[in-house]
Amino acid sequence: MSEKGGTVNKLFAAGAMTLAVALALSACSSNTPSGSQSSAPASGGKQKVSFLVFPSPNLPESYWKAQVDLVTKANPDLEVELVAAPSESERNDYAKQLAASGQLPDVQIGMQDLIALEPSLATWTPEELKDFLCPTCGAVNGKILQLPTNTQTIPNVYYSKKLFQKAGIAEPPKTYADLLADAEKLKAKGITPFVTGGVFVTSQPWTAILATDLYAKTPDWMTKRRGGEVKFATDPAMKAATQKFTDLATKGYLDKRQIGQDYPKTQEAFLGGKGAMYPMGSWFAAAADASSMKDDIGVFAWPGDDGALHMPTFTGGGLSVSATAKNMAAAKKFALAFQLTKENLDASVKADALFPAIKGYTPPSDTGPVFKAVYDLWQKALNEKATVPAFSWEAGDTAMLPGMQGKFWSTAQDLVSGKKTVDQALAFLDTEWEKSG
Amino acid sequence: MRPTVPWLRPLVALVVGGVFFIPLYIALINVFKESRQVASGAMSLPIPPTFDNLIRVLTSPDSLFWSSLRTSVLVTSLSIIILTVLSAMLGHYLARQNTWWSRVIMVLLLCGLMIPPQVILIPITQVLKALGLMSTLQGLVLFNVGYYVPFGVFVFSGFMKGVPRELEEAAAIDGATRWQTFWKIVFPLLRPATASVLIFLGVWIWNDFLNPLIIYGPREGTTIMTGIYKSLGQYAADFGGMFALMFLATLPILVFYLLLQKQFVKGLTGGATKG
Amino acid sequence: MAAGTTIHHHKPGHAQAGVRWRRPGGKGAGLWHFLSFAAPGTLIYFCLVVLPITLSFGYSLTDQALLRPKTHFVGLRNYQLLLQDETFLQSLRVTTILTLIVVIVPNVLGVAIAVLLDRRGWLYNALRSVFFTPMVISSVVISVIWTRILADDGPINQGLRALGVSEPPGWLSDPDIALYSLSSIVCWQMLGFCVVVYLAGLQGVPQELAEAAAIDGAGPARRFWSVTWPLLAPALTINTVVLLISAFKIFDHVKVITNGGPGTGTTASVALVILQEGFVENRTGYASAEAVVMLIVIALLSVITLRVLQRREVQL
Repeated sequence: MSEKGGTVNKLFAAGAMTLAVALALSACSSNTPSGSQSSAPASGGKQKVSFLVFPSPNLPESYWKAQVDLVTKANPDLEVELVAAPSESERNDYAKQLAASGQLPDVQIGMQDLIALEPSLATWTPEELKDFLCPTCGAVNGKILQLPTNTQTIPNVYYSKKLFQKAGIAEPPKTYADLLADAEKLKAKGITPFVTGGVFVTSQPWTAILATDLYAKTPDWMTKRRGGEVKFATDPAMKAATQKFTDLATKGYLDKRQIGQDYPKTQEAFLGGKGAMYPMGSWFAAAADASSMKDDIGVFAWPGDDGALHMPTFTGGGLSVSATAKNMAAAKKFALAFQLTKENLDASVKADALFPAIKGYTPPSDTGPVFKAVYDLWQKALNEKATVPAFSWEAGDTAMLPGMQGKFWSTAQDLVSGKKTVDQALAFLDTEWEKSG
Repeated sequence: MRPTVPWLRPLVALVVGGVFFIPLYIALINVFKESRQVASGAMSLPIPPTFDNLIRVLTSPDSLFWSSLRTSVLVTSLSIIILTVLSAMLGHYLARQNTWWSRVIMVLLLCGLMIPPQVILIPITQVLKALGLMSTLQGLVLFNVGYYVPFGVFVFSGFMKGVPRELEEAAAIDGATRWQTFWKIVFPLLRPATASVLIFLGVWIWNDFLNPLIIYGPREGTTIMTGIYKSLGQYAADFGGMFALMFLATLPILVFYLLLQKQFVKGLTGGATKG
Repeated sequence: MAAGTTIHHHKPGHAQAGVRWRRPGGKGAGLWHFLSFAAPGTLIYFCLVVLPITLSFGYSLTDQALLRPKTHFVGLRNYQLLLQDETFLQSLRVTTILTLIVVIVPNVLGVAIAVLLDRRGWLYNALRSVFFTPMVISSVVISVIWTRILADDGPINQGLRALGVSEPPGWLSDPDIALYSLSSIVCWQMLGFCVVVYLAGLQGVPQELAEAAAIDGAGPARRFWSVTWPLLAPALTINTVVLLISAFKIFDHVKVITNGGPGTGTTASVALVILQEGFVENRTGYASAEAVVMLIVIALLSVITLRVLQRREVQL
């Protein structure tokens, strides 16, 4: 007992010391006002702003630091505190969780569920939006909550030229029939036709098919769904498109074992040659250009039955400001500076292959080959007026109801894994829709 | 009771233990391998071992490890020390008093032992907000104290039954106050119980993930476990770094546990043997 | 602790009479005693556990949403909706399967391993530590380790491919398998706890009893079932109740390993769904109703299990 008692005594001594130190430290920290708690400018006349960002393979912590430094260098009165969300795919849920517990940082980037976040976000005025190409994009109840900074095309199809050659495919497919024929050729050679992954990645081909087969004919489908004029389960075009998507899995063109891997792994899989085609948003161009196989990667738009171009695009994804930001003026100033500084935009082009939707902006000329190809495809679609919304990526009043985006993504996995039939999946989406509304 | 084959038991034990150990082995050796090697052959020995992963984590510019280590040490030490003091006194009070309300308190505390935090997290955020303690270290400590007090009381009051009441009575006759009697005479006798409470709660609070994730907002930093969770994206392609971070995050609590292992296991099994 | 519990404790009535505290203040002393010894812990417990539980019940009768200012009383509507909510029912199914596995497997393997390790010597001491280590490691860390091991390019599938299996199972990506993989991980982590509790139980089994049975000609299996196993009844009770409660409230593993996927809710536990509804979908009233149901189920399950097993202890 005495021996053990000795240990415990020492432990107590250590414990008492720790307690003393801990109390001292916590007293200090509670005396120092942090940015979130003080409305007055902090020491040195600096205005503190907290900024919620998300790490992704394209956008590591160092990228965000550098981006913020660019702004604070030009605006020395701002002091920015970075808050990182756990991952790219969870940034939305994380922001909502923070908002629900009253901890939403002053500024956020790339929020998607604007309807759910509406009560927590500040509105932008037309004056503040004068430099943006699409000042009404992503409106919620007529209010702009998020700066419509950039356009993304979701998805493009990236393909490995080498693997196409190996399967004897001379050129990218022009029609949907070509695409299926090419997939069959690839499969015959033992090459996985499409790389897929978990979270949102599984749904990318579905979004592509819905662009060519649904949105091309009914661009206001989502508005109709919100008005109750159409339903997932009863709309024939929706059903046919979903069947097409499911067939890709049943024919074995998608490896259903890949739906367990996260987004960074999926990207790695395509760049590691584990599949020939990769339907993915325009942002992947940045990672493609940064990889060693950039010259081997080609891009084409997902083809429809008739081969006409229908490019799914989304404009928005910029910064939003919390309605309860203690220092609203500083938060808005930071957000606008972040979005309108040319160096910041150039960096976002290079790191995340964004297409800034800012008046008078042109991307730098030294971008990589994949970015150029994706950008040109988008320009072509713009010229031909062939852009359609990207299903599940819409924002504001033209988006799905709050919480539905995640349901849509997980339903895509259910279809690929065979857990749900097309009818079950669409009925499920309708049920969840009613629940959200 | 003569074993028919004397080497059979150690052999089987070794094999079973070995299989069970494989995941820990993988976690351990990968700390000392380059990320490339981790991806290609997870099982192979790290030859030659590299300390790059550990150095990278320890010197990373965002000092994620150091800042969350500081938070976790603060939260854990503050929580377990306050818990020990409060639950020892409460446990003593409830074990010695036999009024109807002390019994009610005891029953309510015992119910608390099985309440999952998920059930109360939503209102907890409201309560902490009302107290102005949401997303503060003090708020998280306060929650830990409230949530784990039943366990401390359970251990202390159970142990108190074995402490002879006559000791306290003698002290009372000698003119000692309750406070003096408790801290000078009773508490030192509770050492094994104290050790169990410290270690159990230390391990639980150090390893806690959900509560700090919700209560201790992102602005003030992270505890070590929420820190790991939040850097999963950052370390997605860097297995070596990930394993190094996890190794470093586990090391303090593992050492703490190993130092007091005897008491820990004893505290754990006290009830099972029924004396 | 074991030594402590052997001492016979006094009858409460006697204690009351026995202690006479010589303190100024007379009647106030009792109050002072309560205030100084019991009040701080009790107060914090009431504010952070009892009050929130009461609030949960209250919220569950409203359509509260934290981000929306107005809240209405809706009576039992949330509970009616729950009964038809496929997401919630699915999470109950998932949690039940996981709980069954996690209660049974570590218990069975735990007894076997405890019997195997019930010997003296450095080897057995070392092995006991090995089995106990996962209990000390955070479930977040355990989850990340296993995610790596079970990944399609992880060591298990690499090994299977090397053995010539061309299409090894997608341990975490196949919706039919993922829940079982997840359960196995939890079993692995909880096994050490069971082993230690059973080992302690075995130490309470008198050696003479087993030897007497051996002299009577009982084989090892018979000796175990008729001598050892009945004496392990208290250990079985502890393990079962602890496993039951830990498994039913499982969150960390699910959040880190699958986040409820692959697909819709194939591994989403009740705890995950509650937090998702409450903090992400911002339907706090509804989530509180789910939380209340979870609390009732856990309370019923543990009380029933405890009763049944304790009755069994007495009968043995």
